[in-house]
Amino acid sequence: MSESTDSTPSGAAAADGAAQILDQRYRPYDGSRHGLAGAMRAVIVSSMRFTLGLGRPARHKFLPWLAVVVALVPAIVFVGIATVLDIDLISENILPEYHEYYGCIQAALFFFCGIVVPEILVADRRNGMLPLYLSTPLRLWSYLASKAAAVTVTLAVITMGPLLFLLVAYTVEGSGPAGIGDWLTVLVRILGSGIAIAATMTAASLAISSLTDRRAFAVIGVILLLLGSSLVTSSLVETAELDSRLYAFNLFEIGAALKDRIYGIGPPLQFPDGDGAPGRRLSELATWFVLSANAAWVLAGGAVVWWRYRRIEATQ
Amino acid sequence: MSDAAETAIASTTALTQRFGPTVALDAIDVQLQPGVTGLVGANGAGKTTLINALLGLRAPTSGSAIVLGLDPRSQGPALRSRVGFAPERDVLPDEMRAVDFVRHLAQVRGLPRSEARTRASDSLWLVGLGEERTRTLGTMSTGQRQRVKLAQAIASDPQLVLLDEPTSGLDPTQRSEMLTLIGEISNEHSVNVVLSSHLLNEVESVCDHVVALDAGRLVACGPLSDLIGDDEGVTLELVDVAQPAGSVDAVERALRAAGVALERVGSTLRLGGLERDELCDRARDAVADAGARIRRLETRRRTLADLFETAA
Repeated sequence: MSESTDSTPSGAAAADGAAQILDQRYRPYDGSRHGLAGAMRAVIVSSMRFTLGLGRPARHKFLPWLAVVVALVPAIVFVGIATVLDIDLISENILPEYHEYYGCIQAALFFFCGIVVPEILVADRRNGMLPLYLSTPLRLWSYLASKAAAVTVTLAVITMGPLLFLLVAYTVEGSGPAGIGDWLTVLVRILGSGIAIAATMTAASLAISSLTDRRAFAVIGVILLLLGSSLVTSSLVETAELDSRLYAFNLFEIGAALKDRIYGIGPPLQFPDGDGAPGRRLSELATWFVLSANAAWVLAGGAVVWWRYRRIEATQ
Repeated sequence: MSDAAETAIASTTALTQRFGPTVALDAIDVQLQPGVTGLVGANGAGKTTLINALLGLRAPTSGSAIVLGLDPRSQGPALRSRVGFAPERDVLPDEMRAVDFVRHLAQVRGLPRSEARTRASDSLWLVGLGEERTRTLGTMSTGQRQRVKLAQAIASDPQLVLLDEPTSGLDPTQRSEMLTLIGEISNEHSVNVVLSSHLLNEVESVCDHVVALDAGRLVACGPLSDLIGDDEGVTLELVDVAQPAGSVDAVERALRAAGVALERVGSTLRLGGLERDELCDRARDAVADAGARIRRLETRRRTLADLFETAA
């Protein structure tokens, strides 16, 4: 059967011209439709692929996968060391415990939030996809929720992926948690802290990204927020010795504090190096305060995004 | 309820949309019938605002709309799963392949993944981009990108397709091809189309029905055949020559004496008041009697432009 490239339907005709079979390919569809849930699922999957550079030119794959590799490489090295030395390296304090691995992924997290995440909202506004999305079963809230879910899940690959790899590898190697109960406890802590940190970072990154249509501005804004909040609050609390609750404005540290609480650490935390150890003041924060501060970041970020998108003329 | 109201795929009742002091839609009452409906008006007439209201993307200031039996405001998601839409803006994700773009939006409109993949390909074939379906959108011409927008609008087999300025940015040839394509999609695949345009001849060439807007006001709404036609009389243009002197005046006098309503501009006479054939006969007789020469004799056709002139 021949196929045409113009609007003429492709098809085949009988040689004598008496009968003709036309195949126009395009057919009515009377099957099932997935509605809002299907629409959200499609946007989530598409956004995750977009964030990770899948189905896009190679230059868009480099940064996200570099972040994943940066997060994963230490875990691979630790497992290699554990395999070679054949001793319980965690118990011997030679290798970091699960909650201590967070320090190894901060750079990747910073990298991913600052450079990769802003594109996910900015691109849709820049290339006109937003009005197309809103002409489907999606509403503004479901569109934004889908985007947030996509970023959170993708970030969770970084916050949870290396730790899950460590858990499985340590278990196989014989250095994992003792007994199924401990193993499940560690698993729940990895999942819980990973999602919590990812959600906080997602809210902050999307909030900044929603304020501009320019990717470069969004990148600069997110980096300034992450770095600025960290440097300013650390200086104020650790150097100027102001109220430790100022850590609520430090995205990295308040996330780390929540992770510690999920792992059952503190307050008060025990620091072998004495009162001058980094993070001492962070340990002073009450658990309810840490939880509230993280929740506030998520809610505030969500509110900024919602406020911003309500003002955008999305229908033009 | 009238027959037109019963068969309408969409209708509005006193639909009003204000943006501060600006009235974008002023108590619009329209009924859109199956087939191709042209939404026509100058830029800023309210076409896109009306499309947004029909999609439920914006709450009207007052009034109501019903589309495919659903209220766009309260049943928006259900409605939009049955409606395809192509916006005016020519900005698509440059890095996406055409087939991925169409498939993705078909999925967002509720189709299962495998079905969306098949229909994305089929839709692109239908709009003439079968061989180009794996190209990225950024490498496509404006005409091809407009076709991709059309393909994504029809991929989910909607009952109604809203096309906002689908010929924007196209050259005359591409514009003609696009309009032909839209007509084929409506006629051969029973897809109802609402097509907005500020080009009146476009609407006349492809649409069965017309909704004409001017500065937010409804100018006309109904079947195209009722709104335009060949019943506007005859235009007779004569050559004003020296011999015989005063031939144009003689023709004018003869036609007036024959009961023809006449309007004269220079040597051009606009005739009316009688049937077209009758006007032509009397014009012929008057010209022959006066020994005048005809430069042009044509039936004057009422166009959409006349509707707007009348409204103004």
